[in-house]
Amino acid sequence: MSKKKILLVDDEPALTRMLRLNLEQTGRFEVREENHGNNALRAAREFRPDLIFLDVMMPDVGGDEIAEQLKQDPALSGIKYAFLTAIVTKRETGTGAAEISGETFLAKPVKREELLAVVDELLGA
Amino acid sequence: MSDPSRPTDSGTAPPITAAAGAGASDAARTACVLLVDDIPSNLRVLYESLNGRDYRLLVANGGAQALEIAQRSHPDLILLDIMMPDMDGFEVCRQLKADNDTADIAVIFLSALDDAADKIHGLELGAVDYVTKPFHPEEVAARVEAHCKILRLERELAQRNRQLELVRDRILSSMVEAVLGLDAEGRASFVNPAAERLFGLGNECLLTRELSDWEPAALRQSILRVLAEQRELSLDELALPRPDGSTVPVELRAAPIADAAYPAGVVVVLRDLSERRRVEAKLHRTSDELSRSHRELQAAQMQLVQAAKLESVGRLAAGVAHEVKNPLAIAQLGLDYLEQVSCADAVSCQVLADMQQALSRADTVVRGLLDFSRERALHLKRGDINDAIHNSLRLVRHELTQRNIAVRTTLAEAIPERPVDADKLRQAFLNLFMNAMHAMEHDGTLAIHSSLCTLASDELGPHARDAGFLPGDRVIRIAIEDTGPGIDPDDLGLLFDPYFTTKRQGEGTGLGLSVTRNIVTLHGGSIELFNRPAGGACALLLFHPEAVDVGTAPRSREALLRDRTERQRNTDR
Repeated sequence: MSKKKILLVDDEPALTRMLRLNLEQTGRFEVREENHGNNALRAAREFRPDLIFLDVMMPDVGGDEIAEQLKQDPALSGIKYAFLTAIVTKRETGTGAAEISGETFLAKPVKREELLAVVDELLGA
Repeated sequence: MSDPSRPTDSGTAPPITAAAGAGASDAARTACVLLVDDIPSNLRVLYESLNGRDYRLLVANGGAQALEIAQRSHPDLILLDIMMPDMDGFEVCRQLKADNDTADIAVIFLSALDDAADKIHGLELGAVDYVTKPFHPEEVAARVEAHCKILRLERELAQRNRQLELVRDRILSSMVEAVLGLDAEGRASFVNPAAERLFGLGNECLLTRELSDWEPAALRQSILRVLAEQRELSLDELALPRPDGSTVPVELRAAPIADAAYPAGVVVVLRDLSERRRVEAKLHRTSDELSRSHRELQAAQMQLVQAAKLESVGRLAAGVAHEVKNPLAIAQLGLDYLEQVSCADAVSCQVLADMQQALSRADTVVRGLLDFSRERALHLKRGDINDAIHNSLRLVRHELTQRNIAVRTTLAEAIPERPVDADKLRQAFLNLFMNAMHAMEHDGTLAIHSSLCTLASDELGPHARDAGFLPGDRVIRIAIEDTGPGIDPDDLGLLFDPYFTTKRQGEGTGLGLSVTRNIVTLHGGSIELFNRPAGGACALLLFHPEAVDVGTAPRSREALLRDRTERQRNTDR
């Protein structure tokens, strides 16, 4: 079984690294980090991930904007994505992910088990 | 004054047959003396005795003529012969004294009779003196002079009296106070115009009043006491009834009439207090209004300060929370990763576990900050406050059991549903339960009562008053009692301040009660904390059975986003 591919987009390199380490440690995923929002689409086209994690608030471009462009690009529109955000607190999302207007949100700080649960859900594992 | 019969003082012979004297005399001027004798030579002697002195002299040669002149000219003094053929002097005197117009004329009898009985008879008839014939002209002149002097003095005295009376009347009339002069039986003997105005009665009505007519009883008693004790007395206020049924507040001073020469009596002075009372009442009202608006201003200022503090703290908190969340996320995932890959020895495992706990605490603080910055609007649905209590209890029950803290709940079933934000209320109760738990630490009882009852005035605290509760209101009352050490009195005023905490470092953010009060306030309710007489602390929450409009703050983007979250979650269920 080939590993599922996950693209992590967040302006914090340390955060994407931690996410990657946790995901890779399971041995089930191939992970790439992207710390510039502007590069997210190009990375997606090159890497062809199954799932993208998008930080909502980044200095150059917001995760929501990137998601819009993903949806409009026929080549990329099949890719699943979820938002990472510091705005929505855990209390509001309950535990794990929340759906807001049909989108999946993960509230920072996210725990490993929550992260894996969301990934499994979105990738239908 | 050109009476032809008027004797001249030129030294010529007197007109013996002169019938009449001159016009009325003036008290201040020359005295007028009428000489009466039927014998012309006697008249001449008398005339000459007095002529050349400062008198006007009239003569009459018989009793009838004497009376006629007396009535017409009203002399000051009559020298009256007794033995006269037409009418004797006694009869003339009697008639003079019987006539009001002439009764005040002084009479000196002149007679050859030298009989003590006659003298006494004459004096009894009202004569002032008696001269026996033959007399010395100097003696007659001296006696006349002496009596005229007495007459003059009497008149001056009378005039002076009249002037004094006028002055007194003017003073009494111009007095603002009502003055009543009462005799020893309590009957009014004089009243001034102010008294008539005060009593609303005419003076003829007041002057016929008996003691028993004076109202109120305090006035009668005062009069009696002054008469009995002969001492001054005053009353600060009594209510004087008026004919129209109203009463006037008056101040009373009553004093005995102390002059031994007069019959006993009382002077009562009444001062109308209604104007003063009106001014005092107005002053009172003004002062009440001032202190009320002062209190309101203070309260408004406190609210402004509080609101500004909350606002700035809220904004700061939100900013800090967001900044902290990314590093927290990194640390969290880093730890999670390390736990997966390397838990070589027990010590390392313990270190990782400690770090996990520290992170969890930091996360709690950050969440508290965000919650605090967001207490601005509610999402109301009809619900039961008891449910919020149950749900909150469920979250802490495990820890309470571990700490050996018993829970006693008496929740009234009659509590009506009302619009509530169930999540927010749960958070509010949770904060209160946690506080109680932390206060007791180990062992104790957490008691929770809810009821629908009438608000007692001694349970109306300052926050409840600010929230618009009044004694007697139907309220949902919730009391949360612990058996901990209670609240330090010094801390009572600070409990609801953001970032005030008595808990150990890491146990509390200092925002719990501030958030709780905010939530309760947004529900139109109130919360007060106090120490129970039996020991321990009590949180008393009051809610209206129906929601009152408390107004919602302008909603932030964040709140709108959160709204969307809520809606989504609700439809997802």
